[in-house]
Amino acid sequence: MRTKQEYLIRYKDGNLYCELAGIWIDPSKPVKKALITHAHFDHFTFGCEEYISTKETAILLKERVGDNIKIKTFEYGEKFKINGINISFHPSGHILGSSQIRFIFAEEKWLISGDFKLQKDQTCKQYEIVKTDYLISECTFGLPIFKWDESNKIANDISKWITNSPEKTSLLFCYSLGKAQRLLNEISQTNFKGNIYSHGSIHKMNNCYRELGIDIKDTIKIENKKKIDELKGSLILLPPSLSKGSYLKNFKNIQTAFASGWMSIRALRKRSGYDKGFAISDHADWDGILEVVKKSEAKNVFFHHGDSEALSKYLVEKESINVLLFGK
Amino acid sequence: MSLKKFSELFCDLDSINSTNNKIEVLKNYFLSNDPIDNSWAIYLLTGKSNKRFISGRYLKNLFSQIYEYPQWLIDTCYLKVGDSAEVITLLLKNKTNSRKKKLSNISLNELLSETIPTLSKLYEEEKNLEIKNLWETLPEDNHLIFNKILTGTFRVGVSIGLITKSISKLINIEEEIISHRLMGDFKPSIESYEFLINKNINLQELNSKPFPFLLANTFEDKIFKNSINDFQFEWKYDGIRMQLIKRSGNVSLWTRGQELVNESFPELVEKMSHIKDNFVLDGELLVWNFKEQIAFDFSLLQKRINRKSPTRSIQIKYPIILIAYDLLEINGRDIREIKLENRRIELEKYFSKWQIKTENNISDVFKICDLIFPKDWPDALAYKEKSRENNTEGLIIKKKTSIYSSGRKKGIWWKYKVDPMQLDAVLIYAKGGSGRRAGLYTDYSFALWKDKELIKFASAYSGLTNIEIKELDKWIRKNTIEKFGPVRSLKPEMVFEISFEKIQISKRHKSGIAVRFPRITKWRKDKKINDADSLENAYELIKKIS
Repeated sequence: MRTKQEYLIRYKDGNLYCELAGIWIDPSKPVKKALITHAHFDHFTFGCEEYISTKETAILLKERVGDNIKIKTFEYGEKFKINGINISFHPSGHILGSSQIRFIFAEEKWLISGDFKLQKDQTCKQYEIVKTDYLISECTFGLPIFKWDESNKIANDISKWITNSPEKTSLLFCYSLGKAQRLLNEISQTNFKGNIYSHGSIHKMNNCYRELGIDIKDTIKIENKKKIDELKGSLILLPPSLSKGSYLKNFKNIQTAFASGWMSIRALRKRSGYDKGFAISDHADWDGILEVVKKSEAKNVFFHHGDSEALSKYLVEKESINVLLFGK
Repeated sequence: MSLKKFSELFCDLDSINSTNNKIEVLKNYFLSNDPIDNSWAIYLLTGKSNKRFISGRYLKNLFSQIYEYPQWLIDTCYLKVGDSAEVITLLLKNKTNSRKKKLSNISLNELLSETIPTLSKLYEEEKNLEIKNLWETLPEDNHLIFNKILTGTFRVGVSIGLITKSISKLINIEEEIISHRLMGDFKPSIESYEFLINKNINLQELNSKPFPFLLANTFEDKIFKNSINDFQFEWKYDGIRMQLIKRSGNVSLWTRGQELVNESFPELVEKMSHIKDNFVLDGELLVWNFKEQIAFDFSLLQKRINRKSPTRSIQIKYPIILIAYDLLEINGRDIREIKLENRRIELEKYFSKWQIKTENNISDVFKICDLIFPKDWPDALAYKEKSRENNTEGLIIKKKTSIYSSGRKKGIWWKYKVDPMQLDAVLIYAKGGSGRRAGLYTDYSFALWKDKELIKFASAYSGLTNIEIKELDKWIRKNTIEKFGPVRSLKPEMVFEISFEKIQISKRHKSGIAVRFPRITKWRKDKKINDADSLENAYELIKKIS
């Protein structure tokens, strides 16, 4: 066994770091060189000297950070070298542009899964199975109680939820990048044919997706002083940050829902304060994580992002896979 | 299809917050399903029976055994979910993709009157097999309902009042009648449902209806101008207002909230049914200290209110009494139009008759209220000041010539409460206690309204019972907004009555007031945060005492 310091990739100051390449992965503080798996706010930070990502992530990143950042892009599967280490991006199926990152050095393969899902999503590339020796995987939903329904079933539930209350304005809260576009894509294939509005932050991301060639249904940007009658029976997509506070006072006669994997648990649903919860996630469920671990053929697995205790114990006991502790 | 429909109903009720919408959903459910299924739905929703066929632990063990699933993993999941039936339902999503033909047409009636009762008679091994078989043949949407019924944990935010309202709306008949029909044992059957929605009201049902209650207004100083002899004085008890009705042999006990509560107070109903006369009495229900002839605290009454069919030992531990202060009807004669002083004469006359003539002693569940006879207004005020000593809230003052009209009619009845040195405040912070109270949140801070903001005005540690502390602690953990070290800021939701000895202006506090010896005197679960007092109320209190 090697000591922690001897691993190709390890934790340093709470972030994934490859010392040989002098490169950080999704760092939470400004660094010289940062590999970015995807453009969610908890996976990058402002002020790095250089960013490296897929082309799609770069465009989304610029929309969020600003045009003047230095960013190098690579296609999925394209190999590049930093300090003698072979690196490549591979689709992770999480959101548009999201990637796993593979490192090869001295015949040893490492894979950082990034955030990923296996479920079908027409707004981004399907997860690609990548073989590796070492796997660093997220495990946000690392318990067997998480088992996602097909996304078209959820979309039909949402459609029913809206059309069953034609007198109401339906506010659906969801993350503005990724989830919102996936929902729009799915909902446009249901029976719901009413108006869809979206908040500015979501509207902006919709436009980015369209620029990148993804077919996203047209939505109307929600203005603050819309007439209440106009909104009756329609759907409004909003970011979760607006669910608390005075923003909701702009509307009358509303019903609210939250689209998130956590909504599969009744107690969380009840505590969330939303009228309804739709369990749809851009992360892998329990079976998804197990599948990736097995198909990657990794002999050693590390988990981060989530409570990994049960999952680790299960893999060791049932699958005889070596789960290592990173130690932050 | 109907078990599926019931599952949908459960889902809807679970995700709707508005009472009116719930009523609408229930109404539509009743309209579109068979009487027999409706009757089972009512049975389940009203919690008429929450019989446990197997325990949650058994269910988890069984799942572990059938699917060779590690017990520790199920337990870890349980910690996240908090309900055995739900954990197993979620885990089953991974397991039941078998090709077996689905039982998609099973009805709620079949499940509850055949499948489950049969199941519970089987020996363990057969039973386990049958549960496995049901898991694999019932459509996934029905698993939660099935597991919850098995473990006796079927609960959804629907009160019996809500069922009453939706049926009342469905057939356009007053709620009191439906309430009466839902009273007592409800055995699910086509007949019982058809009786419930019968549009013809029979005489007995009409007979059980209470009169609209007459309510008291807050005392006004101008009443001092009148002669003291114009008024009847009573203690203001802190209990539950009730009408006790006995017509053609049947007794019904109604709260002011139009709830029929015969089942909660069987000893009262029993004894009063032995009286030969028919009558309608208006009074207050209390838990009574027979030795000292004063009321026990309201909190003891709460032990009785929501408990149906209380055991004999509960009846002894919390002895109740109905103190009648008015007689509204006697042997079929409506006497609400005669003067109060004459009604009082009737009430006293019949009470003494009943005491002698009734076979069993009614005085251990019933009495009429004592009157107070102040010489003049200052004397009345002196009585009022003494009311705390006998656990009453002040005086009720009634015009002797008044008739019993309805609602909060002006110029008839007044409540004259002891100057309240108390305010209803909202719990906003909690801090961990120490020593005996370690591990529990027992130090509380309370706030009053200022415009739309809650401003902290007092901290209090004492006044709750140990059981209440535990209950509140649980709630605190679930409703924390933020943690600052040992202190948690809480979702404003809980209202408490805070009592104190002194109140004065203070520049040192953000609220601008200071109180001395603040303590919790009541957990006002009946109040919403908008009902809590404002700082303005506090300032008025200061003005009043200075």
